[in-house]
Amino acid sequence: MRGVRARNESAWLLPLGDERTNHRLRDDMRRFDDDDEVDIAIVGCGAGGGVLAQRLARKGWKVVAFDAGPFWDPDRDWVSDERGSHHLYWTDPRVIGGDDPVPLGSNNSGRGVGGSTIHYAGYTPRFHPSDFHTATVDGVGQDWPIAYEELRPYYADIEGELPVAGQPWPWGDPHRYPHSPHPVNGEGLLFIRGCQRLGIDVRVGPVAITNGRFGNRPHCLYRGFCLQGCKVNAKASTLITHIPDALAHGAEVRADSMVSRVVVGSDRRATGVVYWRDGVEHFQRARTVAVAGYSIETPRLLLNSACEEFPDGLCNDEDLVGRYVMVQGAAQTAGRFAEEVRMYKAPPPQVSSEAFYETDPSKDYKRGFSIQCVGPLPITWAEHVAAEGHWGAVLREYMKDYIHWAVLGVLCEFLPLDDNRVTLSDETDRWGLPVARFDYSQCDNDRALMAAGQSKMEDVLGAAGAEETTTIKRYAHLVGGCRMGSTAAEGVVDGNQRAFAVDNLFVADGSVLPTQGSANPALTIMALSARLADHLASR
Amino acid sequence: MSNRGGQDEPAFPGFDVLDDASRWDAVTQGVVLSRVGPPPPIRFFTPEEERVARPLVDRLVDNDEPRLPLLEAIDQRLVDNEGPGYRNADMPEYREAWRQSCRFVDEDAVERFGVHFWELHEADQRAVLEAVRTAKDWHGLPASEVWTMWIGWACTALYSHPTAWNEIGFPGPAYPRGYAALGLDSKDSWEARERNARDRVPWAERLEAARRRHAPGGEDP
Repeated sequence: MRGVRARNESAWLLPLGDERTNHRLRDDMRRFDDDDEVDIAIVGCGAGGGVLAQRLARKGWKVVAFDAGPFWDPDRDWVSDERGSHHLYWTDPRVIGGDDPVPLGSNNSGRGVGGSTIHYAGYTPRFHPSDFHTATVDGVGQDWPIAYEELRPYYADIEGELPVAGQPWPWGDPHRYPHSPHPVNGEGLLFIRGCQRLGIDVRVGPVAITNGRFGNRPHCLYRGFCLQGCKVNAKASTLITHIPDALAHGAEVRADSMVSRVVVGSDRRATGVVYWRDGVEHFQRARTVAVAGYSIETPRLLLNSACEEFPDGLCNDEDLVGRYVMVQGAAQTAGRFAEEVRMYKAPPPQVSSEAFYETDPSKDYKRGFSIQCVGPLPITWAEHVAAEGHWGAVLREYMKDYIHWAVLGVLCEFLPLDDNRVTLSDETDRWGLPVARFDYSQCDNDRALMAAGQSKMEDVLGAAGAEETTTIKRYAHLVGGCRMGSTAAEGVVDGNQRAFAVDNLFVADGSVLPTQGSANPALTIMALSARLADHLASR
Repeated sequence: MSNRGGQDEPAFPGFDVLDDASRWDAVTQGVVLSRVGPPPPIRFFTPEEERVARPLVDRLVDNDEPRLPLLEAIDQRLVDNEGPGYRNADMPEYREAWRQSCRFVDEDAVERFGVHFWELHEADQRAVLEAVRTAKDWHGLPASEVWTMWIGWACTALYSHPTAWNEIGFPGPAYPRGYAALGLDSKDSWEARERNARDRVPWAERLEAARRRHAPGGEDP
């Protein structure tokens, strides 16, 4: 493997000492004019957009990466507090519907440079090889136009750059991690104990948190507020893992800039993007455009970019934009233990099992689930208790027992369905842009998987010694909506993430995923962007 | 938190997260300490809504003694338009949902008991609310969505308050200090020491007492 620093110097560009941000690097950032035709305008500066900006800047491209939110400074902007972290989320209006509406807000898109990697837990598993051809193997979902092997080298590269800590990984394509596994908190120990008593394979990791110094990034402090933005610079986010190197190689990050439209000419080629900054509408010219705004905002932007050539929305000739949005079934089961667990300590991501990831031929459902630690802080734990129907004095008593509970979460591979889609609502936001409406309904396979996952978590916690368990149903990780396909009838983009309908328009986020596996999607989104950059540079 | 006839002594006696506030980073101090200062005035709710909303929120999370400024925290969020980031297609916008639901709660009280919600005994107020929790359609709104909004906002207000952290043994902000003792039954020196650690009986008894108080017709303090 090539040296990490030779391909991405971000960790060495952060300051040592008491500051978390290299202000000099930001002050000296290259700035393009709207009239400069840059090589690429990237919409969204999260997992997908951040990696793409860094890789292309390294290749000498003129890059402008837009984000609707701020250019965060962890020292000044983030707190060790749940309630005080609301500003990390995308909270502009959206509408949800369908038989099983998916709550948005705190559990999906981020707002600001780093995107959702600012508030994700930091679990970074790879997808399994089987994920790339579920239609052929299991008769469900859709085959990807690319195979696992095409992503493998990019997975390894990104794991080195985050870096990922964990035990050697036995599932999927077995592999090792660059950092050794973190010490485990009480909740993780109970998870391991329960699995060992049941003979279930379980491992510590994979977590994108430094375990030891990495460049100028320090060791994790185990303060437990990973989901509130890491003030330590220990948890990987593209704000610190890719953006510094992108700036050092001449990319511009244009924060606080809301892209409202991708402009396409009569020749069906993108010419740039319209964006709002400080209340003024601008147009940035670009030779190439990549959209990386998450599975809600990416389809919304394409639909809002309808024009003469594309009256039903950009790249929507086949009525595929916004369809096949997926979300993992993410039930959480809590167990009460005599021991003091104190799950608020250490990163919420700790331990996982992918023992049930693949289709089990003895079951009447297809595909599977993974199980991970959750470790909710008090407000999130109160929502769990309340979802059980408790309130008033009973809720207060459950809460007083907080330090005795441990929480596991399942990630079930819910299937892609065409009616699970993003459309435009009649409502508009403060820029006058129609807001996204997301309709979602489960299918029978989804419900069977969720029940199986719940039952397995109850078994594990019971085997670990839980005196009582409670489960709530919820969702996590939106992907899909502009999926890859082999043909224009099958997907919005091809296997290289290029729009079938517009030759110089690319989608560079989780929207392109045809299926989602039972893995947290961040690492796969980053690996795809690294691969996309190689493809673009070779065009 | 509430002390009812001595059966309800604190689980973490003497623990106060604010004792260590000077060890938090300055930005976090600013955010957390603002919650223990003077509460902001009510600006979003009209007086007609406030007199319903206050007992509504207090009953939802048994906000009794000491009574924390939970309605003030909710009101401030509503004034700041700090919304959830989505709206269920069957629900009005969240600020309108708060206004409407206050009105409907009072209508329920008048219809069922012949007096206003704020005039009811606490047990009857709980009965009005329990009927919402278990309803399907409620004044044309999906009851479960209304309930989730109410309880979610009330829990966020309560469990962001340091006094509530003391009650549940949560040490609050932990930066730049972090933790060293991560395992089961282990704690760093500043973490809360639990009365009757490892003994479930006191908790089970407290829970049963709470259930009795909370049940329909349960005693008022």
